[in-house]
Amino acid sequence: MLTAAELEIIALSLKVALFGLAASLPFAIAIAFLLARKDFPGKTLFDAAVHLPLVLPPVVVGYALLVLFGTQGPIGRLLEPLGIVLIFRWTGAALAAAIMGFPLMVRAIRLSIEAVDPRLESAARTLGAGRWRVFFTVTLPLAASGVITGALLAFARALGEFGATITFVSNIPGETRTLPLAIYTYTQVPGGDAQALRLSIFSVLLSLAALAFSEWLARRRHPADARHA
Amino acid sequence: MRRIAALIALIALAPFAWADHVTVFAAASLKEALDAAVHSFESSSGNRVTVSYAGSNALARQVESGAPADIFISADTDWIDYVESRNLAVPGSRKTLLGNDLVLIAPAASRVQVKLAPGVDIAAILGDRRIALANPDAVPAGKYAKTAFTALGAWNAIEGKVAAADNVRAALALVARGETPLGVVYRTDAMAEKNVRVVDAFPAGTHPPIVYPMVVLKRSTTPAATALAAYLAGPEAHATFAKFGFSAP
Amino acid sequence: MLEVDIALRRGSFALQAAFRSDAPIVALFGRSGSGKSTIVNAIAGIVRPQRGRIVIGERVLFDSDRGIDLAPEHRRVGCVFQDALLFPHLDVRANLAYGERLTLPAERFVDRERIIALLGIAPLLHRRPANLSGGEKQRVAIGRALLASPRILLLDEPLASLDGARKAEILAYIELLRDEINLPIVYVSHAIEEVTRLADRVVVVAEGRVVAEGDTADVLSRPELNAASGRSEEGAVIDARVASHDPRFELTTLAFAGGELVVPNVDALPGEQVRVRIRARDVSLALERPSRLSIQNVLEASVVSLGGEYGAIVDVELRVGATPLAARITRKAACDLGLVPGQRVHALVKAVSIDRRSVGFA
Repeated sequence: MLTAAELEIIALSLKVALFGLAASLPFAIAIAFLLARKDFPGKTLFDAAVHLPLVLPPVVVGYALLVLFGTQGPIGRLLEPLGIVLIFRWTGAALAAAIMGFPLMVRAIRLSIEAVDPRLESAARTLGAGRWRVFFTVTLPLAASGVITGALLAFARALGEFGATITFVSNIPGETRTLPLAIYTYTQVPGGDAQALRLSIFSVLLSLAALAFSEWLARRRHPADARHA
Repeated sequence: MRRIAALIALIALAPFAWADHVTVFAAASLKEALDAAVHSFESSSGNRVTVSYAGSNALARQVESGAPADIFISADTDWIDYVESRNLAVPGSRKTLLGNDLVLIAPAASRVQVKLAPGVDIAAILGDRRIALANPDAVPAGKYAKTAFTALGAWNAIEGKVAAADNVRAALALVARGETPLGVVYRTDAMAEKNVRVVDAFPAGTHPPIVYPMVVLKRSTTPAATALAAYLAGPEAHATFAKFGFSAP
Repeated sequence: MLEVDIALRRGSFALQAAFRSDAPIVALFGRSGSGKSTIVNAIAGIVRPQRGRIVIGERVLFDSDRGIDLAPEHRRVGCVFQDALLFPHLDVRANLAYGERLTLPAERFVDRERIIALLGIAPLLHRRPANLSGGEKQRVAIGRALLASPRILLLDEPLASLDGARKAEILAYIELLRDEINLPIVYVSHAIEEVTRLADRVVVVAEGRVVAEGDTADVLSRPELNAASGRSEEGAVIDARVASHDPRFELTTLAFAGGELVVPNVDALPGEQVRVRIRARDVSLALERPSRLSIQNVLEASVVSLGGEYGAIVDVELRVGATPLAARITRKAACDLGLVPGQRVHALVKAVSIDRRSVGFA
């Protein structure tokens, strides 16, 4: 059904999206927890900064990534001696994809953490649990549905990421030519419409599957789990 | 008092009262030069001109989809042929405006020396880094580069090392930022960017001549469009273009 | 010995409370918002006072002068909250084990089987909190707190969310705890009946301050309690001893310093000490001993003082022998009877008004 070239593109897309998701999930959880439970000076500004990728044009985000993480950029220069090169590589595509989906993840996780009764956390502390144990044994399990929803949303967003990717890591087959970039490339070439359509349909199916799965999960989990009994 | 002010405003705006609006779709590499030429046209004719710059391929497709452009200037003949073959251009309006050179560039701080001759080993110079080109499958600048490198026998070796940018200006930016050690752009682009230097020009014969054909589009309804087209083909505009490094067609 | 001396400010609420107790149960009694829950939260370490000292036995939990502030997980304080606060994602067994697992074997002194049996929660072990009734949740919550082998048990309005029958049920369990488990208990409540029944020692909290502290019978009879508990609750608490039972009419006679009281059957053996609460509104006065009357309790008393000069109602402080008593009557009645301090009167108390809730076991 799918040609070898198409399978390669899809495999790359999945690799980029999954890796980006896995790498950004711990940060998203940490930041969501901070925003949900802690107060600190500059919190509003911080919250706004986290949401930037959601409201900025993707090309602007891509350009910012180029400036920061390119081999001449401040962060890129630090990473290079460690052997981590992001530009023109699938890791850079993963970074772009992860950043674009990050605010969605943080929002969903933050909402579900806020729904956890903080008194349950206090109760756990009086029973002898330290802060970290409370987080992993009480807060996180009760916020799990939000974590999953957030992750799936971010994943679906990552699969469709284009503007930041092409601006940051260019369009390199096998490395950064994810599904959206491949579709775009086919539309550029006269006679490539049929190919573009095939890949588009597959892209839609993939995103629908991710979203449907997230819906199913949300419905399957006992709604009462999110509140204290 | 207010009535006098309104009258004065009306008189002052009179030249623009019957002003037309012309929309031009032009290849990205024409930006600075065309902006200057258009500006002169606006002041002398009183018409307003809006120019949209992008890769010629993207523009051609937009025209095909019915975008409201009056004039289309492409960076190669393929995309003008494309538009003409779909009956979107006013017959006989095609004119070749300009010529350009294809050059190999490097970041300004780089000291690399390359002679573009048959058998040149670009791959060796790149090492494990990449060369920035506009998309070699679709964008004119990229297609020219691919043809030229093929003629020199270097394409196979560097095909896997290409960082394909969306248009020639994006490729230029990558070299200017130092993200790639080499890139291929038009001479006019290299002249516009102070953070790159020209390493060598591709010899004539390695690629078809780079010309910028222009057509007036059928869906254009304003006579100002024809006036602009005539202006751009004329001597005044040519002098402007030459200042930016474009050659005569 | 529990010592608390703290000052805390949260927004517009200022708390300054100091008390000590080595009684098996000490009750923090007061209206909602008086600050009693805040005190308990401070003992648990959930809120931090600006200044002060909290000590249990030799353990200093908090001392602002010495910079000591133990984290809640190190305080070994067992808490039972009004809403039980069981972990909804764990079953009862896992809830019970939560604190138990975090306690070092060497520090565990609570026997799991015994507690489960004591609280009657064995059949609930595999259920989720969402499938438990209010009473069941509280019992599990008590069990969970106990199984963490705490040094002290803090019960913060544990009965407030329960209905009448459940309240009685859990109250009985708490009495059991008090008697069976050797653990100091701090009991927070705004319900005077609960405090009467359970506590030997009471700390009355109002508007962020301790306004009274002492033995239950003593403190709860004082008139200044009105503000803390609401006017209608004014009354007296009497220490008494079960004298005898009348099986035929299911009545019990209680003897106290001043006379005897006949009340509906009290579930205690002769000789046992109890505390009886008599509300002022249930006490009527007569100048002469009435005859052919349904009221079982006619006590010889003398008037100590009379209340205010305004309003329809007046509170009369009485003394029955050595025991204080209060009667709430209309000002008109006080006027008609010509009541003056020192006057001898008869206090009439309906046996029926002294119900199960009004009798607590010392």
